[in-house]
Amino acid sequence: MTAESTPAAAELRAAADELRRAGETAAKPGRDPVNLPMIRSWLEAMGDANPAYERDGTAPPAMIQVWTMRGLAPPSTGDPLQAMSDLCERSGLVGVVATDSAQTYHRYLRAGEEVTVRSRLESVDGPKRTALGEGWFITTATRWLVGDEPVAEMTFRILRYRPEPRPETPPAAPIQPVITADNSFFWAGVEAGELRIQRCGECGARRHPPGPACPACGSLKPEHIVATGAGTIHSWTVHHHPPVPGRRAPYTVALVDLEEGPRMVAEYRGPRPAIGDPVRVAFDSGLPVWRPDVPTLDPWELHVTPTMIISTALATRDFQNVHHDRDAAVRLGGRDIFVNILTTTGLVQRFVTDRLGPAVTIKSIKIRLGTPCHAYDTLTFTGQVFGDRVDVVGRTAAGVHVTGAVEVRR
Amino acid sequence: MTAAIAGIGATEFSKDSGRSELRLAVEAIRAALDDAGLRPADVSGLVTFTMDNNSEIAVARELGIGELTFLTRIGYGGGAACAVVQQAVLAVGAGLADVVVCYRALNERSGRRFGQAFASPDPDSGWHAPMGLATPAAQVAMVAQRYLHDSGASADDFGRVTVAARRHAATNPYAWFHGRPITLDDHRASRWIAEPLRLLDCCQESDGAVAVVVTSLERARDLPRPPAVVVAASAQGSGPGQYVMTSYYRPEVGALPEMGVVARQLWDRSGFRPHDVRTAVLYDHFTPYVLMQLEELGFCARGEARHLIADGGVELGGRLPVNPHGGQLGEAYIHGMNGIAEAVRQIRGTAVNQVPGDGPVLVTAGTGVPTSGLVLAPSL
Repeated sequence: MTAESTPAAAELRAAADELRRAGETAAKPGRDPVNLPMIRSWLEAMGDANPAYERDGTAPPAMIQVWTMRGLAPPSTGDPLQAMSDLCERSGLVGVVATDSAQTYHRYLRAGEEVTVRSRLESVDGPKRTALGEGWFITTATRWLVGDEPVAEMTFRILRYRPEPRPETPPAAPIQPVITADNSFFWAGVEAGELRIQRCGECGARRHPPGPACPACGSLKPEHIVATGAGTIHSWTVHHHPPVPGRRAPYTVALVDLEEGPRMVAEYRGPRPAIGDPVRVAFDSGLPVWRPDVPTLDPWELHVTPTMIISTALATRDFQNVHHDRDAAVRLGGRDIFVNILTTTGLVQRFVTDRLGPAVTIKSIKIRLGTPCHAYDTLTFTGQVFGDRVDVVGRTAAGVHVTGAVEVRR
Repeated sequence: MTAAIAGIGATEFSKDSGRSELRLAVEAIRAALDDAGLRPADVSGLVTFTMDNNSEIAVARELGIGELTFLTRIGYGGGAACAVVQQAVLAVGAGLADVVVCYRALNERSGRRFGQAFASPDPDSGWHAPMGLATPAAQVAMVAQRYLHDSGASADDFGRVTVAARRHAATNPYAWFHGRPITLDDHRASRWIAEPLRLLDCCQESDGAVAVVVTSLERARDLPRPPAVVVAASAQGSGPGQYVMTSYYRPEVGALPEMGVVARQLWDRSGFRPHDVRTAVLYDHFTPYVLMQLEELGFCARGEARHLIADGGVELGGRLPVNPHGGQLGEAYIHGMNGIAEAVRQIRGTAVNQVPGDGPVLVTAGTGVPTSGLVLAPSL
């Protein structure tokens, strides 16, 4: 019997249909009004020194979910996410991770305001094969209101999964460059953080990939120049399948016309590209990488401590044990306690406001989670500015923890 | 001297042959010799692809071929398909061998799958595979994306190629996809492999073998089967700035100049022109290259292939039926050799999806690599 047709799957689908039909829940009030003590605790745990909130008496927008978290109170009966999640758990889908959060803030909240929350089940998709095991994605749509005024909304997705033992095979080593006497200058350049292209020592013809002889004049005097690293996309592809050793699909590869003339292939990291888009080289793991040629934010390296994970989990009123109890986290298949999604959202917000300055207003934060960020990881944020949108990536040594897009008003 | 194709032979096409590649080679060659009315002892030359795992001497031993006077191989993967026949034609014409067998036998699906990522020690590969372009599909996708941009074609035009192939395969009992036609919507719904290529833009993976027997027309006239098929022209071609699947560094990326090199030779040597061609058997490991080949071969102007393939233009009954056997998308992926066998059947008038007429049949070999082509024609 396939997973598609199990009674459990049918039961989940039927329950999902019923919950969807039920529509949006009644407005449920938060435990406390928006208040400065919780804001200060949150800012302190996040390490966010942005003075604007205290000065204006407003709450950081990324706190929106915090105001209506149930904390340790028993779950309310009507909550569709809770209902669906519980049903999954009873079907053996005991693992749970948040995967996506897309929050839009219509305005900042002020201390003293009373917030209510309404939510509805958007979709339940499964069973899906995931890296964690077979699972179901549960997507909900949530609105926060002050009185009748909608102040924020969110699409939120979690994965409920049946944990599977991880295969013991070590990850395959990435495919290595083929270094020869004719091209070692290029790879030495990558090590030195330079993009080198061959130039003929006689006629000056530029060329990539390099070789021992000049196809233009026949001389055997190869030299090189250091390219600016700027170019435009000549073509591109997104690789989906089959798996490539050392890489996580999908990923994008672009063929770039360099300013100096020659073309070059490298991975492209950025929003979906188009032919003609300007890019600039960066270097990662011994390879050139293209990035959109837009302003970048200075990277932020955060050393993630257990204290930070626990204090932020508590400041976001998220009392899931995997965020404060190492034994529980390990029992559920993790390496250690890990950062919760509300905190990741808060850290993304902090990175953007730290770099762009406290005067910017955050309009929305949309994130997708990848590998968990565990205690003792170093989480490095990088950002690229596309007008009023900042694309943020947070990486740990294990991989990409978060990719996100933050819309701002300056 | 005119050379003739005196026999063709093949194994069944499958996903798991359950036999060694050597045995597949032996079976296909035996079938081809039987088809020609020749015995193993008549064979004096063997030609195959450098990628074939069966040595000529092992094949000769198993078949009981005694002495060989001509042994050679052609490189660049499927680009060799028509070039191995050209080698045979040259050997026969030069008097180096009387009967030459071209063979290709592979357990490509049950053994080493060419579509998987691989690391090559070739320095050329070192500019692509480490950067993530590690599969043929991804390497072709880079060209296909640029072709779409330059020509104004759409991904649906790629889909029309695969719909045509599957329509033809559906009525070919030897095809893996016999009885399984698809629609453009099936193509649109198939999963991404490497954008803009979907699963149904990629040829199959197959186990099987095909062999072709080449001899002089004079000798063929003495054989039991009438000498129906002559090699009117054969050609090999490599373009400027040529790479294997990654010729990204010449001015035009969305083009196949190496196939242009082949085309010019084929038309010059055969005296035929594109409009004479009854049906074209075009190498179709990836759909975009069928469009680009139509342009390079002169069936339409550069960037115009989407108009040629519109409204079933390359389907049976269309302006130019392409791959009436279903091609490698529909019949099997035998590295282009099954296409040569189909061209022979079309000339003989014995194809399952016979295209009417008495014009020549064009066959091409692997694209994106140094390639080759043949024009086959009925003997007078």
